[in-house]
Amino acid sequence: MTEAQDLVGGEQPLLELDGIGKFYGNIIALQGITTEVRAGEVTCVLGDNGAGKSTFIKILAGVHKHDAGDFRLEGKPVDFNSPREALDAGIAAVYQDLAMVPLMSVWRNFFLGAEPTKGVFPVRWVDKPEAKRIAKEEMAKMGIDIRDTEQPVGTLSGGERQSVAIARAVYYGAKVLILDEPTSALGVKQSGVVLRYIVEAAKRGLGVIFITHNPAHAYPVGDRFLILNRGQSMGNFAKEEITQQELTQLMAGGAELEQLQHELEAAIAGK
Amino acid sequence: MSDTAVPDVGNSDANAAAAAADAMAATLAGGADERLAYRGVFQRLFVRPEIGAIVGAAAIWAFFWAVSREFGTAGGMSSILDVSATLGIMAVAVSLLMIGGEFDLSSGAATGTFAIITILLVKDVGDLGGAGLSLWIAIPLSLLFALGLGWINGMMVERTGLPSFIVTLATFFVLRGFKLGFSKLIIDNLTVGRISEAQGRGYEFWEPIFATVWIRNEHQLEARDAIYTIGILGGLALLAFAVAELNFARRDKLNPGGLPIFGAGVAGVIAGILYMHNSDGVSANSIAAAIIGVAGLAAFVGFCMWRYERQEAGSLQLDASVSKLLAAGVIASVLAMAFAVVFDVDSQEPVLDLVGALRWPFVIAAGAYAAFRAFQKSAGDSNTQSQTLINVSSIAAASAFTMYAFMFMTTEQGLRSILFGVTMLAGLILLAIAAGNAGRNSPITRGLVLTVFSAVLVALAFFIRSQSASVKFRSELFSVLLVSALVFFVWAVCSTMFTQRRFQEAKADGFGTTLAQVGGAAIAVGIIIKLLFTTQAELDAGIARAGFRISILWFLGFSLFATWLLGRTKFGSWIFAVGGNKQAARQVGVPAARTKTQLFMIVSVAAWLVGLLLAFRLDTVQSVAGNGLEFEYIIAAVVGGTLLTGGYGSAFGAAIGAIIVAMTKQGIPSARWNSDWRFAFLGIILLTAVIANNFIKTKAEESR
Repeated sequence: MTEAQDLVGGEQPLLELDGIGKFYGNIIALQGITTEVRAGEVTCVLGDNGAGKSTFIKILAGVHKHDAGDFRLEGKPVDFNSPREALDAGIAAVYQDLAMVPLMSVWRNFFLGAEPTKGVFPVRWVDKPEAKRIAKEEMAKMGIDIRDTEQPVGTLSGGERQSVAIARAVYYGAKVLILDEPTSALGVKQSGVVLRYIVEAAKRGLGVIFITHNPAHAYPVGDRFLILNRGQSMGNFAKEEITQQELTQLMAGGAELEQLQHELEAAIAGK
Repeated sequence: MSDTAVPDVGNSDANAAAAAADAMAATLAGGADERLAYRGVFQRLFVRPEIGAIVGAAAIWAFFWAVSREFGTAGGMSSILDVSATLGIMAVAVSLLMIGGEFDLSSGAATGTFAIITILLVKDVGDLGGAGLSLWIAIPLSLLFALGLGWINGMMVERTGLPSFIVTLATFFVLRGFKLGFSKLIIDNLTVGRISEAQGRGYEFWEPIFATVWIRNEHQLEARDAIYTIGILGGLALLAFAVAELNFARRDKLNPGGLPIFGAGVAGVIAGILYMHNSDGVSANSIAAAIIGVAGLAAFVGFCMWRYERQEAGSLQLDASVSKLLAAGVIASVLAMAFAVVFDVDSQEPVLDLVGALRWPFVIAAGAYAAFRAFQKSAGDSNTQSQTLINVSSIAAASAFTMYAFMFMTTEQGLRSILFGVTMLAGLILLAIAAGNAGRNSPITRGLVLTVFSAVLVALAFFIRSQSASVKFRSELFSVLLVSALVFFVWAVCSTMFTQRRFQEAKADGFGTTLAQVGGAAIAVGIIIKLLFTTQAELDAGIARAGFRISILWFLGFSLFATWLLGRTKFGSWIFAVGGNKQAARQVGVPAARTKTQLFMIVSVAAWLVGLLLAFRLDTVQSVAGNGLEFEYIIAAVVGGTLLTGGYGSAFGAAIGAIIVAMTKQGIPSARWNSDWRFAFLGIILLTAVIANNFIKTKAEESR
């Protein structure tokens, strides 16, 4: 991590958000969100259910447009009309439902939508050996250990599927990788595996946005933390500025948690 | 909050990951991954979506070969292929669409529609009006209609979001109505003819493309049987070597000691075949067969000694499970032969008369009583013995009922063949299971069981030759059984002597696959030559005319194209993706709506092709042509391993499925059964196929 920071930390941020807001009619879904994503760093977005995390990703991935504030990619203001535009600009999102076809093989899934072809129009075919080789190699580079690229994705474990999706995004030259709750459905060990891939992706110079509601997953891998609560930003911290304890408290609404603790203690004492 | 959920993701771990990546890169360079356990040849074949269809096709062909006269002749083959061709072109297209997750119920009616459109376009402008166009215009124009129909189907499904089942059901009825309505309106007739009115307007050019027939009787090739024999035997030998290459572990260093044995064996086989070819008489044939058998064994063992690792045979372990199955298998086989001897082969007497009309109630009563007793006993004490008794008596009761049901329908001769066939098959299956179980004990045990299996096959072969009334059984089945017995015996010896592979070996896999492909091609060439050519001897014997239509070539070409499309192109991946998970496909940039619309267009273009084949062949087309056939296409696709829910399947499988459907359509009349039973038969096949495919799919996901 530190190497990567030394290399790129001083440059201009890859992605900057300044006072971003989103309104659905009279509902304020998101307001005043400010953060940045640097190449080689992991920016964690934390929040409880309903905090506005999904709206936040959708703005970044081009599904929705923001209604207020500035959204800059490499210093230039951007305004995406579709996920495709965001993807072309180098922002790739890996969603919870993974965008994988379970009955298709790993390599076909890896290249789906952008298969390498051989031959001259109209006779073009997929360069299968090459595709299998690249898929295996790319995943090996990420330290992902796929036994057989011909095996259907449906037979992989949840963590492995996440890792295929991450490797795919990295291979397609994503500059910013958005991961939507990649660890939420996984067991302890699988989560560890996915967290390792997140670090690996950042080491390869990507800016990673890691969305989660688990501070214990976020703190070890994150360089910057944006905490959301009820559509508002509860703070945007660099790692040095905050401890995991504080992070957990902030996320759960700080004072409320403290109050709850007091109440519980009083109840136990009164018994 | 506990921190245990997170491993320490520091530098050391990242370095470890990098090291692992390096190690992986190293294995990549080496080819195969050492962590992959090698799956046996048969296990790998088993997970292909089309394997069920191929096995089914072989079984159905063998069944009809046994019960009918036409199957197994060139004429029978030409009519099966003739029916499969038009059915298969559609089935392949429909399977692509089904893999893409949609149905097209208008596909059957569409075939007739495009035939009628083309005919109306070229028909002379006369009292019964046609457009009088040249075929050069009419054919592209009707193709445009076809593309339009597919586009409309696709757009309606995509735009409305309705199930394609409903949308295309509507299109089906519209087409049906249009065909009748316009035929009556324009030419006042339900039969639309004739495309040959385009004489002089391109008919001479297009007719051969869609309606050429290869008349077998007009093409003589005296070397045919030699080519056929070499193709079949050479192909089988190559296949056998391929199986060995894929199954056994290669030696680190080749053992040249095996080569002389291999060479001598091959020379012996060739000598035996030449001797058999050049001499006549039963004793000469037996001697030649013995030479071929011994030499074949030597050749194979020599080949294996040259290339593969030896293994310890282990000690003979005939435990209870193996010996029980072995005994049961042998007893069933003997029983089968006993049935065949006891019943009269020539008797056309209904079995009911034979048994005596009064006796059957006793059969039922006996079965029912046994079941009743067993039930009573089990109510008292439920130990394993009474459980066994219940099982035995229920089977007895069920068999009594089934026997009774059969007696209604069959003659003594029929009963004889049913009893013989079923018992024999059961015996062979029991022996095969015994061999599988024995393999877990020790190689030598499996070798022994396989030897028994092979001996039973030899006994069966000679039994059939001595007992059967049919020449076909006495000669062809006899030789097939002897060859299979030899194959199993060779396998018994080799699988005892040599080590099975445990890991993938890229080189051996490549070589084995090439051998198998060449072998398969040799067999195919042999069969095709035999089908396409006749000999003077056959003509002198007055063989029936057989013609192969060019539609078979269209079928072959279209199947190959679809297989290539599905397996090797971008579009193929997209088909699987939109059928497997449309949402996911969209997210990664697959144009889902366009892919599905193109699939509908492929189906309607296939319907256009079939329509033209029909029009040129029949000259006049009924306005109801094609209606209702869409379900046969779907059945063929499903029998071929395509999943009804989309996302899985194979075009090649659908082609085989079409051949299966065609065989049942042709087989039932040619076996002289009432063809009303055809649909019942088709239904049973569909159900069996779906169950088998589901099973295969589950296995495919497990065994990876």
